[in-house]
Amino acid sequence: MTKPKELLEDKVGKKSLLLANEAIARGVLEAGVRLVALYPGTPSSEIGNNLTFMAPNIPNFYFEFSANEKVALEVAGAAAVAGVRSMMVCKGPGLNVAADPFFSLTYIGVRAGMVIVVADDPSMWSSQNENDSRYYALMGNMPMVEPADPAEAKSMLIEAYEISEKLELPVLLRTTTRVNHTRAPVEFGKIRERPTTVEFEKDPFRFVPIPSVARKRHPILLETMRKAMEVSETTSLNFTYGEGDLGIITSGVSYNYVLEALESMELSAEVLKLGMTHPVPEGKIGEFLKHHKRVVIVEELEPFLETHARRIAQVNKISVEILGKEQGYFSRAFEYSPRIVITALSRIINRNTSINWEKIDKKTGKLPDLPPRPPLLCAGCPHRATYYAIRTATRGKAIYPSDIGCYTLSIAPPLETADILFDMGSSITTACGIVRVTGQDVVATIGDSTFFASGLPGIANAVYNSHPISLVVLDNRTTAMTGHQPHPGTGVTGMQEQVTPLDIAEVCKGLGVKYVKTIQPFDSMATMVAEVREMVTWVRENQAPAVMVSIEPCALLTAAERQRSGEYPSKYYVDEETCTACKRCLNRLSCPAMYQDPETEKAVIDETLCNLCGTCVSVCPQGAIKQEEV
Amino acid sequence: MTGNNTINVAITGVGGQGVLTLAEILAKAALADSLNVRVGEIHGMAQRGGHVVCTVRIGDGARGPIVDSGTADLLVGFEPVETLREIQTVAEDGSVLVSSHIQYPVAVSMGKAEYPSHEEIISSFKKFTTRILEIDAMALAQQAGSSMSVNMVMLGGILGTGITPIQKKTAIDIVRTTFPKKFEGTNVQALELGMKAVEALL
Repeated sequence: MTKPKELLEDKVGKKSLLLANEAIARGVLEAGVRLVALYPGTPSSEIGNNLTFMAPNIPNFYFEFSANEKVALEVAGAAAVAGVRSMMVCKGPGLNVAADPFFSLTYIGVRAGMVIVVADDPSMWSSQNENDSRYYALMGNMPMVEPADPAEAKSMLIEAYEISEKLELPVLLRTTTRVNHTRAPVEFGKIRERPTTVEFEKDPFRFVPIPSVARKRHPILLETMRKAMEVSETTSLNFTYGEGDLGIITSGVSYNYVLEALESMELSAEVLKLGMTHPVPEGKIGEFLKHHKRVVIVEELEPFLETHARRIAQVNKISVEILGKEQGYFSRAFEYSPRIVITALSRIINRNTSINWEKIDKKTGKLPDLPPRPPLLCAGCPHRATYYAIRTATRGKAIYPSDIGCYTLSIAPPLETADILFDMGSSITTACGIVRVTGQDVVATIGDSTFFASGLPGIANAVYNSHPISLVVLDNRTTAMTGHQPHPGTGVTGMQEQVTPLDIAEVCKGLGVKYVKTIQPFDSMATMVAEVREMVTWVRENQAPAVMVSIEPCALLTAAERQRSGEYPSKYYVDEETCTACKRCLNRLSCPAMYQDPETEKAVIDETLCNLCGTCVSVCPQGAIKQEEV
Repeated sequence: MTGNNTINVAITGVGGQGVLTLAEILAKAALADSLNVRVGEIHGMAQRGGHVVCTVRIGDGARGPIVDSGTADLLVGFEPVETLREIQTVAEDGSVLVSSHIQYPVAVSMGKAEYPSHEEIISSFKKFTTRILEIDAMALAQQAGSSMSVNMVMLGGILGTGITPIQKKTAIDIVRTTFPKKFEGTNVQALELGMKAVEALL
């Protein structure tokens, strides 16, 4: 764990190559943050992954992986109300989960600095949507800053705490994937001290927004946002760069693309770079619009700044041509790149691009069709065995509501066990909706971390309303997809303390589930198939929910553990004599460690990729897959 | 773009092959040689055994992490088909460093898609650039002592092309300080083998 240790170093001026997420984790130290609470979500995950290993070594600091984002925002929000600097971190859809406390927090405000880091995901590299979180700042009246790179991610975080304390409001620090996951040199600053404890001073008529209080607080909030506007007008986060007839307004990662485009096109323009994007500096933007005949707005996703610019021009009767998404120069979908900015600017100034991209695209289009390689369940993933059993037991005919995690990858053939997905926890609740109107068998799957994050209300609902659903909890003992963070079922906290884990089977029994069983996916495939069948039959007969917990650690954890201990089970191989090249293993399991020998057409196990789970042994009808004798 | 002495490297392969680690080592070496650098990574859902692409940009002109179509000075591919999937990134006078070791996609194993022939892959590369350097990084990694050191072979290969300004000594220092001591021999050996293999092709 070199990185968390390095991030703790008290070396002012040291330059280190950091992801923006690592820079933010370092910024927590430099801003004197006392408490951080979060639920992991890519592209924000490395913030928590570093903080959890830094935390035990930071005096007067508390870090937790909260059960979900709403919980995290409430924990962090209350700490800032009590009077210490706090931070909450989430991915874009995570802020949707935390929306309820988000809106209360701006009404009541905070006593010490608070920052909410939200990481949006244009192009949806690892998210179910690319919704633009900037509208939360607008709707909730929360000041917002948007860094363009890792260095700014840290410096803006520190500045955001100053703004937050000046206004007594939380500040939203909004990033995008290409900021979070860019690595660049970042200079270390001074570490700031944190208070041990503070006294909670009661002020219920500010902090309890019953209607009579909320009615007082809303005008106060609007007045505070007027003060925030003054900050936005004067802050060095909003600045101009370069000069020229053409004007460009941009923010976040797009700023880099604008500068690279101008440089490669040898084009001069004045760029207004907005670091504080809510409230936007109305005066500054107005002046900028007045000084240019044409202003191009470059921002990913929704026309947030563009709409502001058009509004400001209209209110101030400024005659200027504003060019952006409204005229189709830029897209509202997916992330940008220098190419996209160069292409749009070239169209606007009527010239050809120096690279003939149309020619390259045409050549690319003529390439042979390549075999697809989508992300897959890893070799040795216990979910593969569980899904194989579910599919075999139900002959692929049940409805399979899925949830958020690695296991959504079971959407791909041949497992094909993901039929509907909304959000965290929706496997259970969509199962309820489907079973009430179809009469089909429904077997839902949810991961262990997702179970604790959002599954519990769904179970209570299913039990109380007697929804006849089968639920399989895929318990791989970690939050796997986002990089193996602990959750309430693991027995480790964000502070790296050992605690008593919550037992999923016991929790389900406690919530009133009458049928709860535990299985181990690598034990016996025949038993597991029989267990799933029995559960589905029980649900049909009893018209009530049933839960099966399938427990086996994530293959990556197992592999790491074996590497540490140096103890490996013996290898699996396909006995060429016995294999009849029926391809059942290849066709039913889709294990990335197995392939077909192009000459013999028989299955082969690639021992550099095999994670030694042995699931394939029970799938082979010939008994041709064997384990080497020790 | 490629101007202003900025070197663009795109690295592609299959999730789990060590693409991200290679990019970070390369960038750390650049920083240690006092060069400006940016790395673009993809994490999470994008990683699990699927197609992965990572970028390293070295030089003063590098601000964002993206290497667009037609702008890579060097495309590094850990696997033939994955290299072909990103071939459009290579600049007209750019180079391709590719490992010939095949990792069959599941769709091919299931008989739902065909893996293109070696000739078809190379001739497709040639529609974009004639500078193609092919090595069997898996064989060299195993020769060095571990199939896990494929990315160190590729790192050596990158140094061997001479396209990046990174010094061999710096790269070896970074490899030594980044990984546990017990892997040092294998890693350095893998780097040396990759470098020699590419130099022999030039």
